[in-house]
Amino acid sequence: MSSSPKSSHKNHRSHFPLQKSLFQQNAAFPHSSPVHTTSNKTANSSYGKPISASNNFAGDFNHPCPHLLELRSKLGPNPFRNLQDCLEVRPLGRVSVRRELGQEVVQCGACKASSPRLFACVACAAVSCQLHATSHAAQADDNTGCSSPSSFHAIAVDVDRVELFCCVCKDQVYDSGFDAAVVLAQTAASSAIGSIHCPPPPVPAENLRKRRRVEYKPWTPDPNERALIVEKSSPLPSRPSQLGEADAELPWGLRGLNNLGNTCFMNSVLQALLHTPPLRNYFLSDKHNRYFCQQRNNVISTRSHDSNNHSNKNAARLCLACDLDAMFSAVFSGDRTPYSPAKFLYSWWQHASNLASYEQQDAHEFFISMLDGIHEKLQKDKRKPQIQSSGDCCIAHRVFSGILRSDVMCTACGFTSTTYDPCIDISLDLETNVGGPAKLTSAKSNHSCNGVPDSKNACQSTGVSTLMGCLDRFTRPERLGSDQKFYCQQCQVRQESLKQMSIRKLPLVSCFHIKRFEHSHIKKMSKKVDRFLQFPFSLDMSPYLSSSILRSRFGNRIFPFDGDESDSPNELSSEFELFAVITHSGKLDAGHYVTYLRLSNQWYKCDDAWITQVNDNIVRAAQGYMIFYVQKMLYYKASERQVAL
Amino acid sequence: MRSSVKRPPTPDAEEEEQDREPTLQEIINIKLIESGEKERLKELLRERLVECGWKDEMKALCRAFARKRGRNNVTVDDLVHVITPKGRGSIHS
Repeated sequence: MSSSPKSSHKNHRSHFPLQKSLFQQNAAFPHSSPVHTTSNKTANSSYGKPISASNNFAGDFNHPCPHLLELRSKLGPNPFRNLQDCLEVRPLGRVSVRRELGQEVVQCGACKASSPRLFACVACAAVSCQLHATSHAAQADDNTGCSSPSSFHAIAVDVDRVELFCCVCKDQVYDSGFDAAVVLAQTAASSAIGSIHCPPPPVPAENLRKRRRVEYKPWTPDPNERALIVEKSSPLPSRPSQLGEADAELPWGLRGLNNLGNTCFMNSVLQALLHTPPLRNYFLSDKHNRYFCQQRNNVISTRSHDSNNHSNKNAARLCLACDLDAMFSAVFSGDRTPYSPAKFLYSWWQHASNLASYEQQDAHEFFISMLDGIHEKLQKDKRKPQIQSSGDCCIAHRVFSGILRSDVMCTACGFTSTTYDPCIDISLDLETNVGGPAKLTSAKSNHSCNGVPDSKNACQSTGVSTLMGCLDRFTRPERLGSDQKFYCQQCQVRQESLKQMSIRKLPLVSCFHIKRFEHSHIKKMSKKVDRFLQFPFSLDMSPYLSSSILRSRFGNRIFPFDGDESDSPNELSSEFELFAVITHSGKLDAGHYVTYLRLSNQWYKCDDAWITQVNDNIVRAAQGYMIFYVQKMLYYKASERQVAL
Repeated sequence: MRSSVKRPPTPDAEEEEQDREPTLQEIINIKLIESGEKERLKELLRERLVECGWKDEMKALCRAFARKRGRNNVTVDDLVHVITPKGRGSIHS
């Protein structure tokens, strides 16, 4: 195939170097041998499924179009394995077909068009625009001289996006070998130094855990256990009916919390935690027995002989988990009179002494502080490893801890640096300028926004903030300002960069904290953002997982992205259900927190000591400040210990 | 007799090229591409379109269309034809 450029036209290339490296290395390239256009394709096809009868569309990966199949059968099982040589990676990780220097301008061979999409024929590297691609495929012959379109010239590659296109079917087609080569080229470019990705936190341990997941088996007590139950326990009244029949229908664990002096911030968080399923289960199944724990604390405190005896004793006796255990017992006892969490408040003050006052506090700050308190004590006790991300350290992290992945990409060379950080919750900014191109009116604006997949975008164009919109923004690539240049290892200088967040591991319970309190250090002023946020009752987190975000970075590939992202449990368990919403009403310094709880698909408003049943709509219209979701499906792992304590 | 290997026809547009001077627009385009600025402009444009939500809106349109037509009955061409007028129309100036 002659491709020597005419000297006066060196800028106008309609042929590519593509052809030289891609196919000449492949022994099966048929220019020299007669071509078999028999119909024994099925014998060749290890690709399984029979070709679908309809040729109107090129189909998906499992049903490749007949032309792609023919190409595969003629060029061997992996015709694109040398594709990387024909690709170059542009800044920001975009892959395109490589052009020689001085030949960057690409045009259609027939009509000189250079937009919008140009395709390079996989067989002869001739470049055509979409209009002429079909005729190229049609007029190019195979060696037998028949005028039927040759499969070779039917398949082409989009020169800008590096995607396969079938000129006869006039649609995009997919080949896993092709996509694999593209992804390889991209990852090789983004991490020129050494390994492909930074090793994530304990993958081996997690893999082990994954393999040891067991099937859920319902449990019933055997005769011995039954005897034990009868002997060692006293049954709770089957229907807590202190106040009469109406009260008897209320679910277990609903109990008001007295306000001890501006403690609504604490009450609201406690109500949410008291009904966080994994946490509730943990405490109600006696996993942290407060008597046993205090006994052990006394032992520890009597042992310590140093001069700080007194403070050690106090520290040893202080256990937020014990106080929480006491609270669980009280709240689930069936007693409906409001409970005063005074002991808990006192303990928390000792832990977070800087916040110990009767002033109003921030509920989110309390939440973090409380979990931290539980963690510190439990971790000290058990002397467990400090790996917060795996949740082995304490129940607080087991329930709430997830892992965030942060990718920083150099805009000059595309080199990407990845870090993993554990997180207890996700703080989201409320978008200030929602509503893009205003001309686009959406017909869906009248419908309820919940649950309809693309209603999020409809809402955006009419100006409503949604939780998914916030998550989108959270995982969107963000250009760091020129004052925040990042040191690029490959360029060896500070460069402007793009940062993108994604979720590597989802926690059992996701807490979304909406940043409604803006503190400006410059102006020494804080203000509250009252903007309404719409949140769904069911949430699918899969688009925000690292695997999805990375997949989209590679474009339209069907290459199964494995490596460190093949967490099949993550794919299965990315569906979440809403169970609690903490709302704030009022001003920054004078406001009130209220929690809405969802029990047996019924909503209850918990306003300090007053609990009332409310409608869905009240909750939907509420101003969410902290929104709690729990995983719909829980996976059980094989227990490492013989006897579960 | 063996038939000679048939090549795709050499585009005879090349002969026309020699006679015609490239227009100013073409020259500018070439310069932009050669210097790499066109790629930067494209990248900037992509960023802006994502930021203002245009990309998400187009995605939603495509999804709606694909859902209506049936997932297997849609080609890239169809999608492009559907969203092009709306896409162009929703961008000011």
